[in-house]
Amino acid sequence: MAVGDRVREHQELVEVQTDKAVVVIPCPAAGVVAELCAPTGDRLAVGEVLVVIEPDGDGAGAPAPATATEPLQSAPAPAAPVTAPRAAGRPLAAPATRRRARELRVDLATVAASGPQGRILREDVERAAAASAPAGAAPPADPAAPGAAVAPPSAPSVPARPTAAPSRPGEVVRLRGVRRAIAQTLTRAWQEIPHIIDYREVDAGRLIEARDALRRRATERGQEELARALTPTPLIAAAAVRALADHPYVNASIDMEREEIALHRQVHLGVATATADGLMVPVVADADRRSVGELALEIAALARAARERRLEPGQLRGATFTINNFGGLGVWLGTPIIQPPQVANLGIGAIRDRVVPVVGEPRVRPVCALSVSGDHRVLDGDTLGAFVSRVVTLLEEPLLIFEDLT
Amino acid sequence: MVVGELAESADLLVLGGGPGGYVAAIRAAQLGRRVTLVDEAGPEGLGGVCLQVGCIPSKALIELAATAERVRGMGDMGLEVEGARVSLERFQAWRERLCLGLAGSVGRLLAAGDVTVVHGRARFNRPDRVAVRTEEGQARFFEFEQAIVATGSRPVELPQLPFDGERVLDSTGALALAEVPSSMAVVGAGYIGLELGTAFAKLGTRVTVVEALERVLPSVDASLTAPVVHRLRGRGVDLRLASTAERLEGGQLVVRDGDGEHYVAAERVVVAVGRVPNTDDLGLDAAGVPVGPDGLVPVGDDLRATGRVAAIGDVVAGPALAHKASAEGVVAAEALSGRPAAFDPAAIPAVIFTDPEIGTAGLSEAEARADGIDARSATFPLAASGRAATLGATAGFTRLVVDAAVDRVVGLHVVGPHASELVAGATLAIELMASPEDLAATIHPHPTMSESVHEAAELLLGHPIHAAGAGAPR
Repeated sequence: MAVGDRVREHQELVEVQTDKAVVVIPCPAAGVVAELCAPTGDRLAVGEVLVVIEPDGDGAGAPAPATATEPLQSAPAPAAPVTAPRAAGRPLAAPATRRRARELRVDLATVAASGPQGRILREDVERAAAASAPAGAAPPADPAAPGAAVAPPSAPSVPARPTAAPSRPGEVVRLRGVRRAIAQTLTRAWQEIPHIIDYREVDAGRLIEARDALRRRATERGQEELARALTPTPLIAAAAVRALADHPYVNASIDMEREEIALHRQVHLGVATATADGLMVPVVADADRRSVGELALEIAALARAARERRLEPGQLRGATFTINNFGGLGVWLGTPIIQPPQVANLGIGAIRDRVVPVVGEPRVRPVCALSVSGDHRVLDGDTLGAFVSRVVTLLEEPLLIFEDLT
Repeated sequence: MVVGELAESADLLVLGGGPGGYVAAIRAAQLGRRVTLVDEAGPEGLGGVCLQVGCIPSKALIELAATAERVRGMGDMGLEVEGARVSLERFQAWRERLCLGLAGSVGRLLAAGDVTVVHGRARFNRPDRVAVRTEEGQARFFEFEQAIVATGSRPVELPQLPFDGERVLDSTGALALAEVPSSMAVVGAGYIGLELGTAFAKLGTRVTVVEALERVLPSVDASLTAPVVHRLRGRGVDLRLASTAERLEGGQLVVRDGDGEHYVAAERVVVAVGRVPNTDDLGLDAAGVPVGPDGLVPVGDDLRATGRVAAIGDVVAGPALAHKASAEGVVAAEALSGRPAAFDPAAIPAVIFTDPEIGTAGLSEAEARADGIDARSATFPLAASGRAATLGATAGFTRLVVDAAVDRVVGLHVVGPHASELVAGATLAIELMASPEDLAATIHPHPTMSESVHEAAELLLGHPIHAAGAGAPR
């Protein structure tokens, strides 16, 4: 899309990355693009002009500005802070705030402003610095503090050397869209949630047999799509969902402000999916009411939509529990991070042949590692462990997954 | 004294003792640096152009001229003065004491910071070394860790009117006159030319101002200059715009305009057509410091030109103003001392001591619009100011410019008495992103000119108290 391009009404105009997904915004009017108000990759606040379209024909009408009508890049915080308006060419910050930003090496252009109309306050800068500081790093001492960093007047001829310049990366990629949402969510998750992780070894022999049997059956029936969708993932999903029925504290969410744990009646299952834009977690709604075949088809469809950037924001919301099959990436043992407000995340690694003792004899069996993270505020080693044991049982005896059907 | 190529060591070397250099030296000393400052005028000449031959003496002369004129013009108010006479000779003696006293103060400040002041002319001869030719004709060499170039600027000479210190003067020469000339031609209607022309006109000199452009004071919004032009003409100053100074012919200056050549009485000619940075004879090449075709040294936000050399004041881009140089001096000293410092003011105020004075801070409405700002302005006429009335000087106005999108003050433009004193407050408002409501809700003392800022804010908000019928903001 460039200035001078002719556009039709309802034509796909621009891809907008929200925190959750990529949304295609249709063109609101037919005409010629008169102005692009933001470069690709920029952030716009709701209500800002995205593009100006000069209407076709008589040209009498005023240009139709397409404004951002949905929260593009809405921040998860309740009072969505806005990035400082750039109209005046520089961030709105008072001199002492600008100085503080330099001291803390914070780029004011990236600071979320909490002052009126985008004014950046000193606290905003300090908050931004804290958010970007590596864990455990002490904030730089205030050089204005008496005595700090000032060489004594009697210092020898060694001059106060400039501090090491920050390293210059070859390329700077702005933290935007999906990446930014991941960064924010996982920062919060890792900082807030006391993770405990239960690691288990699973004999996946029968799981593979079950998967193969189901796949054969689908092929015989001509259900090619289902056959392709029948990877171990839907079986793992089904095992987890069945286990959750007996372990309600794992299918829960925690609200520290209200000091409540919500135990969910349904299982809305998040399925971690790698995409070119980054990790996405589309949600299979009411997974507890789906058959393995339905889960397989649904998971496959969601994964495809995620990779093709077709997910709608609604398909990314509301998970009560998440599974993450990182075996496809070659991972043996992973560390799943819980996405708040959920309280658990089940990770499973690659299935590989391993020598394991079977009834006292070494045997080669397909084995995989299961790692389930739990929020220790809600789950203890025993409650999480009980759930994981049940999942292991179901994975090692997949017939039990279908127990309800008998 | 060390002779030959044996170099003395200097931790931070500052070239120039003007308002940029001496401020940088003091700040660096505060940060624990061992500072050596080199100035060609020596300890008695500290303070640079500003203190010696610029801001300070010119304001003193302007004060004298304005007071002389005012006391003669206050008969209506009841002041009867007899025998008031201006002696420029006595003024010069007083001025000398004034400048010596101030230079002495600067010297004491530098001494308090253990800054070594070297009297001489410095030239880089290596990236880390300067040669200083002292007053006695000797050379001293200083090997420095870091240096700050603050050598300022000098008046531009016109080839057809070379400075001779007698008939053709620069601003320094004009300020050193010990007698009031009967006639004076001022070439250049920038702020230096108009300030000098106004002062001498008040002292009784027949003044002609010759300006090549179509307007005076090209650095400020044209609307601000109207009261100034009106007053200049009112006191008999011959303002010749779109005219060029051609040559001296006998006692007269030949001026050319669209109609041809004219002869202008000119016992003295003062050429004030601009200033050129003092960067041509510093050996900056040897220091690896680039110099642009305009003579300016390109620098970054931290005012460094190279890893070890910073440049400030008139030798870098931006208005050639003392307060800008001083602010840059602080930044350069901090940056070279490892502080995260940058020169990034939201506004650099400017003051012009014409009659009436002009004071500006931030953007004019036109500049703001050119920057893409949704600019609004309100103009409060001084005719409605009680303080202006008591001063008998109601020509002028105070104009506030705001960014409507973010509701903040982006500019204040004042033409009127004491305008120079009003812009600091406005600069603060701009830096702190005050809204017009903030200004309107802030109590300004009565009776002062500063109330006009408050009134302009009220006007902008649509509810002025002292400007009934002034209407909605433009």
